[in-house]
Amino acid sequence: MAWITKNSSAPIADRTDTPYLSQETKDHFEREIIPRYPTRQAATIPLLHAIQHDHNWLPVQAMEEAAEFLGIPASAVMDTATFYEEFFLQPRGKYTVWVCQSISCEIMGNTKLVDKLSDVLGISPGETTEDGRFTLMNVECIGACGGAPCALVNEKLHENLTVDNVEQILSGLD
Amino acid sequence: MLESPMLLSRVPSVPHGDPADRRTISYDDYVKTGGYEALDKALGMEPKDIIEVVKAAELRGRGGAGFPAGMKWSFLPPQDGEQRFLAINADESEPATFKDQVLIAFDPHQTIEGIAICMRACQLDTAYFYIRGEYHHHRDIFENAIKEAYTHGVFGENSRMGKVNDRWPNLYLHRGAGAYICGEETALLESLEGKRGWPRIKPPFPAVSGAFGRPTIINNVETLATVPPIITNGAEWFKTHGVPRPEGAPPHVPASYGTKLFGVSGPVNKPGVFEEHLGLKLSDAIEKFCGGMMHGKKYKGAIPGGISMGVLGRDQYEAELDFDIGKKYQCLGLGTACVTVIPEDVSMVAMARNCARFYSHESCGQCTPCREGGNWLYKVLSRVEQGDGTTKDLDLLLEVAGSMGSMPGTTICGLADGANWAVRTIMNKFWDEFEAAVSKERFVSLAVVGQ
Ligand SMILES: Cc1cc2nc3c(=O)[nH]c(=O)nc-3n(C[C@H](O)[C@H](O)[C@H](O)COP(=O)(O)O)c2cc1C
Ligand code: SF4
Ligand code: FES
Repeated sequence: MAWITKNSSAPIADRTDTPYLSQETKDHFEREIIPRYPTRQAATIPLLHAIQHDHNWLPVQAMEEAAEFLGIPASAVMDTATFYEEFFLQPRGKYTVWVCQSISCEIMGNTKLVDKLSDVLGISPGETTEDGRFTLMNVECIGACGGAPCALVNEKLHENLTVDNVEQILSGLD
Repeated sequence: MLESPMLLSRVPSVPHGDPADRRTISYDDYVKTGGYEALDKALGMEPKDIIEVVKAAELRGRGGAGFPAGMKWSFLPPQDGEQRFLAINADESEPATFKDQVLIAFDPHQTIEGIAICMRACQLDTAYFYIRGEYHHHRDIFENAIKEAYTHGVFGENSRMGKVNDRWPNLYLHRGAGAYICGEETALLESLEGKRGWPRIKPPFPAVSGAFGRPTIINNVETLATVPPIITNGAEWFKTHGVPRPEGAPPHVPASYGTKLFGVSGPVNKPGVFEEHLGLKLSDAIEKFCGGMMHGKKYKGAIPGGISMGVLGRDQYEAELDFDIGKKYQCLGLGTACVTVIPEDVSMVAMARNCARFYSHESCGQCTPCREGGNWLYKVLSRVEQGDGTTKDLDLLLEVAGSMGSMPGTTICGLADGANWAVRTIMNKFWDEFEAAVSKERFVSLAVVGQ
């Protein structure tokens, strides 16, 4: 979290001429999102979500563009972006596998799942496979404890996982 | 046993229905089954009278702290024509808590109706539904339900609520981004403002100076979903549910009226969320609602309402799950009433380590006792778990844990109290396991000698 330097939050400056923040996103935010709040800064998290949705991570240049668009310092945007678990300030895999490690999932055997996934993917939690397909993350309770142990692959929830069926959550993905 | 549910009346749940039959209730289905009648009734009432009904019902917050909702609503200053906000807490990140998501995914309009009634009662013009980042499916459903509510004139221009503070009322969904601390109400407001989720020092309280420096009410999803049935049926009806004030308690001590969503997870045959009267016994929750322990495993302990509340011990299997649980059973409180069952074959040292890791990871880092203490608890507990601990380590753990929190007065918010209670109650109630874990080093513990 905030004060721990998580390996996904050391920013990489990756400059390009094409902006990360598209005109379309800007128009959408100007029309729909920004008027919802009394300040433009309040649109920071929605905007970061939108950029990350398009690019899968948040390059420094993207945060600078967001800051300029919102009329706040780039440092303010980065301050926010580094705080939240879901924002990646480094490239990550096409699929992020989030395995819950909180109490109910641990009781129901999550450690074995993480070991198995690490084995299959050849990476430790926090790392990305060399082919750029998968990032493996440990995460705290994802609110699906009735189906413990569970995991998210991008936005899809998988419940009642076992060592035998956990590999299936990686299959059928393009 | 509860005869007819008030929160899950449209959502099949044990014992009234099969959770496998759950589906999302649309606006039309909601209205067909009496939905939005409470809002219509509320629109015919004076705002202050609505607050009086909620106060008379003694509805207590369902988000963890159990603060009386009607009282919170009456703390607002008089209107001054400027904006006033409602922030709905759908962050639901307390480990082992998964109750609000049932309301969001299956009967979103009951919550939306509660939101509208609260906005009417408190004269709030803008509401933000702060939903945790990982609820992807729920977010889509709720977004859609909000759209339906706009289409049918609950919010937006020409809302049936009329203008509030000279503005048409609005409800917006705001997505979090993965941070437990944003469930703390002032951290939620900071996050809403686009900043890192750092809890604020109180006072000022949000009712006076909350989101964007304006008066703001913050309530949990379930709290608001309980409001429509109260408005429809009245406070006296509501108080026929749950348990009254403990005998001899003065009238300002709030009771545990009403029903509650309980969510049970861990090694039980049918884990899940169901609704019952407050005061349900833990043993009944496990045996009658969840089909008993899985594979004949034995009960060893349970976490009554998210790990921040601490643990119930071996001899507390019959504990009544109501707001009085803290005093009676030496834990912090009822919390979210989402129970984790711990079986005999799981080490309590591992459980304490799991909790400590959570707090060390989720601390926002503002207060030294929380930031450093959480991390040290995790490190020392890991050492004890690996068999390298000493008896002195146990004393150290109790000392560090006991010094953390807003109740000892060393931190800004309650996250550190959670760490404090989780670690201390697990250690105190399962001391034998901790002693055994450090038995390589036979020093006599100061805690045992009583110092
Ligand atoms: C660290 C921490 C985390 C919290 N997380 C949540 C949460 O996820 N959901 C919630 O409703 N309340 C949470 N709360 C409680 C809120 O601060 C607040 O009391 C509650 O949302 C008020 O609503 P209620 O009165 O309707 O319960 C949390 C509190 C603390 C100290
Ligand atoms: S107690 Fe912990 S989480 Fe709360 S404000 Fe202090 S450091 Fe942050
Ligand atoms: S403990 Fe794993 S989802 Fe809640």
